[in-house]
Amino acid sequence: MKKITYTEAKKELEAIVFAIESGELDVDALTEKVKRASELIAFCKEKLTKTDIELQKILDDIA
Amino acid sequence: MMNQSSLTLSELNRQVKDAIRDHLPETCWMRAETSDVRRNRNGHCYLEFIEKDAVTQSIIAKARGVIWANVFQMLSAYFENQTGQQFTSGINVLVRVSVEFHELYGYSLTVVDIDPSFTLGEIARNRQRILKQLEEEGVLTLNRELQLPELANRIAVISSPTAAGYEDFCDQLANNPGGLVFYAKLFPAVMQGDRSEASIIAALDKVFQYSELFDAVAIIRGGGASSDLNCFDSYLLATNVAQFPLPVISGIGHERDVTVLDIVAHTRAKTPTAVAEFFIARLTRTATEIISLEERVVAESQSRLLKEQTDLFSLSKELVHQSSLMIQREMAATQQLSGKMKYGVKHLLQHQAHLLENRGQFIRMVSPVNILKRGYTLTLKEGRIVTSLHDLSADDIIETRFRDGVSTSVITQVVPRKPLEKD
Repeated sequence: MKKITYTEAKKELEAIVFAIESGELDVDALTEKVKRASELIAFCKEKLTKTDIELQKILDDIA
Repeated sequence: MMNQSSLTLSELNRQVKDAIRDHLPETCWMRAETSDVRRNRNGHCYLEFIEKDAVTQSIIAKARGVIWANVFQMLSAYFENQTGQQFTSGINVLVRVSVEFHELYGYSLTVVDIDPSFTLGEIARNRQRILKQLEEEGVLTLNRELQLPELANRIAVISSPTAAGYEDFCDQLANNPGGLVFYAKLFPAVMQGDRSEASIIAALDKVFQYSELFDAVAIIRGGGASSDLNCFDSYLLATNVAQFPLPVISGIGHERDVTVLDIVAHTRAKTPTAVAEFFIARLTRTATEIISLEERVVAESQSRLLKEQTDLFSLSKELVHQSSLMIQREMAATQQLSGKMKYGVKHLLQHQAHLLENRGQFIRMVSPVNILKRGYTLTLKEGRIVTSLHDLSADDIIETRFRDGVSTSVITQVVPRKPLEKD
């Protein structure tokens, strides 16, 4: 999860949503996909709303 | 020599002055570039008018100029209002001047009127020239063609650090209603006057060194009244911005004018606040997309699970129903079969018994005892039953059996039946 970029996460999330909405997944696959989707959503939301302390520090250090 | 007529300097200057007054119109329109524009504490504006050679750019004419305070106040406001451009050095102007010659101060031009449309035309021509050059070099639209990432919240800000516009920009970002995270890093630059072009380019170079840390660049300048836009119509700045690897958003605080910088920038906003709003709107849309995807996942998986549950429930109900039905059906069939079998066996036995009875009766009917009872007799010779006359001849001893006994006789005559009466 750490290595993924926002854009990659969003793309994967979109693919999952399409797959879920296609109605072709069985319940086991659906459960797996929903689990992955909630991970991706949490990741994207964090990027949008939580300050990345590490990045902030790097930016502050630019003289 | 002494008798020859001669003039004092003041007399000569007066004659020059008179000649100028007599031979030149009181005022005339003149095109020139401004230079060294400055105001003294009384509000009078002193400047140089210059003309450069179109090719060599060397100065080929020069004259001192003055705009008296009362005139300057009026003209500069009018000029700035019309052009969005301060009356400053380095601009091409069309001014109405009166040519003055003062015995002590010499030649100078006093400005009495200005035509801003000429300057506008000059600015426009200058912009067109720069844009044409950028286009010919194939760089004009490069920055506009860059894609701003969906998650664009790391912004390199090129601004004067003390500008009110910069503060507004940061406040706006920090207090966005969605609680979205922005990183605004200031790269200070001079945003006004002759040094601004080089200063902004230096700031861009610095951002370039850290470009992987940023999603976009904002070039902003505090609003205020109309101000000097000259530096934003610079070829050097434009070509740097156009070829910059990150999208550049401009917000240099002018309402009407579109500078070359605005044209080559990825996105043009009017003010620093508008640039902040642009970023906020963009990130809000990004967040909204995630929320709507989340809603779709939740809605779809919920309705799907509900449907599976309903399916399972109705399947289990169906299973119970169908299996009890089947059991009932099988039981009924078994019962019916066993009934049938009972009946069938009984019937069969009855039938057989009846058959046996018939046979018995028949056998009883045809038994010799019964036949003898009905009056028939049985003839035997030497212990054997005689069935034909051929077996007998006269003097044979035969035995005749009756129902109730036996007699012995001697044959006296054998008369065979006539053949015609054979049956």
